[in-house]
Amino acid sequence: MTSPVVEVNNVNKVYGGRAEASYQALDNVSFSIQEGEFVGVMGASGSGKTTLLQAIAALDRVSSGQITIAGTNVTDMKEKELTDFRARRLGFIFQDFNLLENMTVYENIALPLFLQNQKGKSVRESVYRAAEMLGMEDTLSKYPAMISGGQKQRAAAARALVHHPSMILADEPTGALDSGNAKGLLETLQHLNETYDVTTMMVTHDAFSASYCERILFLEDGRLYKEMQRTGSREEFFKQILDEQAEAGKNKL
Amino acid sequence: MLVKLAWNGMKSKRKDYIILLTGLVMSIAIFYMFQTLALNKDFTSDNAMISSMQLVFHVGSFLLAVITFFYLLYTNTFLLSLRQREYGMFLLLGAKKSHLKRLMFLENLLIGTAALVVGIAAGTVLSGITAGMVMGQLGEDLEGYHSFYLPSLVVTLLFFLLLFVVTAVWNHIKLSKVQVLELVHADTTSDRMPSRPKVNIVMMAAGIISLTGGWLSLIFMEQLREKGILSAAILTTLGTYLLFSSLLPVLLKAVKEKGAWKEKGIRAFTLSQLTFRVQNLKKFLATAAMLIALGAGAISGGMAFKNNAPVFAEQAGFYDAVVHNAGPEEEEILDDITFTDAQQYRYKKAGDYTFYLKEDLENQPPKMRTSSGGVKILDNGLPEDRESLADVKAARDPGSEWTRFLQSSFARDYSKKPLIVNRSLYESIDAEEEVVFAGKSDDFMAYHDEFAALDQIKEQKMEAAEGEHYYSQSKYGMYESYQTLATGTVFMGFFLGTAFLAMMASCLMFKVLSGAAGDVPRYRMLQNIGVSRDLLKRSVAAELFIIFLIPAVLGLAHVLIGMNMFSFILLEPYYRIWVSLLVFIVLYFLYYGLTVKMYQGMVLPQRK
Repeated sequence: MTSPVVEVNNVNKVYGGRAEASYQALDNVSFSIQEGEFVGVMGASGSGKTTLLQAIAALDRVSSGQITIAGTNVTDMKEKELTDFRARRLGFIFQDFNLLENMTVYENIALPLFLQNQKGKSVRESVYRAAEMLGMEDTLSKYPAMISGGQKQRAAAARALVHHPSMILADEPTGALDSGNAKGLLETLQHLNETYDVTTMMVTHDAFSASYCERILFLEDGRLYKEMQRTGSREEFFKQILDEQAEAGKNKL
Repeated sequence: MLVKLAWNGMKSKRKDYIILLTGLVMSIAIFYMFQTLALNKDFTSDNAMISSMQLVFHVGSFLLAVITFFYLLYTNTFLLSLRQREYGMFLLLGAKKSHLKRLMFLENLLIGTAALVVGIAAGTVLSGITAGMVMGQLGEDLEGYHSFYLPSLVVTLLFFLLLFVVTAVWNHIKLSKVQVLELVHADTTSDRMPSRPKVNIVMMAAGIISLTGGWLSLIFMEQLREKGILSAAILTTLGTYLLFSSLLPVLLKAVKEKGAWKEKGIRAFTLSQLTFRVQNLKKFLATAAMLIALGAGAISGGMAFKNNAPVFAEQAGFYDAVVHNAGPEEEEILDDITFTDAQQYRYKKAGDYTFYLKEDLENQPPKMRTSSGGVKILDNGLPEDRESLADVKAARDPGSEWTRFLQSSFARDYSKKPLIVNRSLYESIDAEEEVVFAGKSDDFMAYHDEFAALDQIKEQKMEAAEGEHYYSQSKYGMYESYQTLATGTVFMGFFLGTAFLAMMASCLMFKVLSGAAGDVPRYRMLQNIGVSRDLLKRSVAAELFIIFLIPAVLGLAHVLIGMNMFSFILLEPYYRIWVSLLVFIVLYFLYYGLTVKMYQGMVLPQRK
């Protein structure tokens, strides 16, 4: 936990041009994530959490402000550099797995490496290592259609990890999973974070998922209004999050 | 109410329906265009070369019908897939199946009628334009050709109505069998099919046998004649379909499993794309191969006929120009031509005879074309010297090589018999000395205009001269009359070729469209994990390149072998075949580029 992996400074994102039609998805957001942290971003639908994730992932441009990832300012990069940056420095896990169903699990996991023109043995080793970390060595030769949702999401996690990214970005990774599989995946993410020091940023609206994080940023209407650090056990943290949500809900009444 | 819902559903997929309709209109227009050619007896019997090819025409008609049938089935599947989800939802909400079937029938009828009306109108306009273009380009008149022809219209209507009924029944059966949930989840079902290796091997073997049979029929067309045309058409088509169905998936799988090569950049993905969709693709590719074969074959065939003209003219005689008593005008033209062979022979005309001076023929032996196409120098066998003209006349041998040569190559007046005499007898003849110039240029086609001018002067001379009846036809004349004859054939070849290529174009359009929707999430995902747009574009280009390449290879193989078919009407069916192939390849590449652009536009997320 030495240097910040992500630094977000006064980021604004406005959709639409004209004053009356415009919509401020992010409103002066600033925060940072240290190396090896497991940070959650919580908020209701429409609070801007996905916009924030996309901005950090450089999938979307911000209207103003600065985002620095591993010392690189992504806000003024060119399209081509951004693509390259995404491919080398970031790993993604999406709600709907985003596995390519026309490729085997092995090929799916190996894809980021193929794209960097790595070959042969080094690819195989990396893929097997990532699969091992996620306990899915047995499914490598299968096609996504042949495995369960939980396995799919773990395959997606393996793909996110395989090229040693600076950070993993997870967008509602448990959204399409049943509770058993969701728990499994969260434990896996936590395990990866604790054992291998993988910096992770997870966007979620679910308090249970969020309770696996070390720190949670709360978003509402594009504003970062609260930050919570886990101090005790996960169960306590879960309660704190629920309380916070209840509090926020009460204020609206 | 349901009708209104269905109508709204159709409106929401307007773009897809427009594409579908375009494809149908295209195929109807092409079928109609073909029928205006095939059924119009006035046209086919007026153009001698075409009337002798009536059978080829009917086989072409049959092939077009078969391919249109498959094409329609293909578009129908596409139509069904467009509506599946919606129909499923209607069923879920309590609509009766019988009601839906009626609805679907209505929809088919609506689209079919619209397509027929527009298609026939388009066909009329297109055939008018094509005919006008070809006529303009060739400077020839296509006698008896009408772009609007009632019998063709009736045949087109009947054929497509029949096809629409067949597809309606097909849909009916399909809808009866299907379960509600299958329809609702239609999008998520995988394209993968269980492989049946045994069936596959049988299919592969049958495919190879059929294709060999088809190719052999093409090669031995001269011996097989009509039977050969039929067996070639059936066996080649069958073989192509069987081979593509059985071999293609196996082949791609083999490539995919060849570890190291594919593990570079996006190759793994591109290959997976291909393997994944091969089940859908194979029939389509077989159709494309056949259409390419027919299209390129037709263009090649038509051009071979026209290309045949110089070859045909060359066969007619050795000398490019034969000029009697060249005047200053003719001398001027002759001076512009570079001759590799140029001789002058003196002669006198008297009575029924033309007397050639022997020493001229002896000193500069003329050359003649043999029946096998070679060149022979006439340097011996000149008749012996005689005492008197009467003896010469008596010893005349009408069958000798010299007589035949002089009669066919130099004769100015056919009614006069050629004789060869020595100088003393020649001088004794009381007639004006005349001279014939015979020359072979270094390139016949290069002096096309000069030879035409010479012919024109000759014609004027002939009109002016009284009592002379016949000039042997010049090489240019032969060339010209063959050219006229070939016009109809070129027209047909061009017409057919464009028709088949256009057909394939709309086939490809469907392939692109029906596949693109499913590809969008894949490409979006790849872009999310950091694959650059350029790389994705290249992947699309590579994928489509292989899709284009496979049928092109087999299609061109069909053409190269299939040109044998014309061996019994053409001197050289392969004459300058590369020109027509080049035309095709350029066209094909343009189309490839267009398809890639369209596909990229559809599957790649818009830049923000």
